[in-house]
Amino acid sequence: MGDERLQNTIKVQRAMRDLTQADLAAMAGVTRRSVNAIETGRMVPSVLLALKIARALGIPVETIFTLQPREESAGMAP
Amino acid sequence: MSQATDDRSELFLQFSQRKLTTLLVIVLAVGAAGLALMLTPTGTVWRAVSRISLVPVAVAIVLIVQMTLRGRRWPPDSPEVRMAMQDEWRRTNMNRASRLALVVVLLAQWPLALVLGFTQIPAPRGAMAMAMASITLGLATQIALFLFFDRE
Repeated sequence: MGDERLQNTIKVQRAMRDLTQADLAAMAGVTRRSVNAIETGRMVPSVLLALKIARALGIPVETIFTLQPREESAGMAP
Repeated sequence: MSQATDDRSELFLQFSQRKLTTLLVIVLAVGAAGLALMLTPTGTVWRAVSRISLVPVAVAIVLIVQMTLRGRRWPPDSPEVRMAMQDEWRRTNMNRASRLALVVVLLAQWPLALVLGFTQIPAPRGAMAMAMASITLGLATQIALFLFFDRE
């Protein structure tokens, strides 16, 4: 459990759709600060919020959120 | 959810932080005054407070809160307020702040008891002073930590 971390591709997915954090927040029904906190890895979202974000982006949740071993993800941007 | 609602929720979050900052100042002021009263009930603080009418103080607090709102109204059932209140990041921060504030209050009990033990006040007043100090410390820590966690 402790040797894995949640990684997300929200920033990439937003860029592909030309969406701002505020746009995605409005689509998912949360505040921009929540999207920012998830995107920068400061917050692990609940299943409900992860599904809302996936629905807003129109892709499966596992495309956005993946579990990465800490050793492999060390030094990578969140 | 429109862009206008999102802008208003962002505004609401900013004003909410200002309100909490104001509340932190009020909590600290009231707590300090209350503690001073408990420790010196027949002293200068008590005489000074008994001369001051509480009405101007209450009016000043209301004015400060209104200034932070800049005349805007935020009905509790409006979409931006509901979104902000149910926001996961804010709730996570509030939970973290509450947990840490509880730890701080629990850790402070021993030194508080020692400090108040050295003051020459009767036991019931000492207990009241300790309660007042604990409540003030808990509230102030929770608000301050929430503001710290919730910053961008």
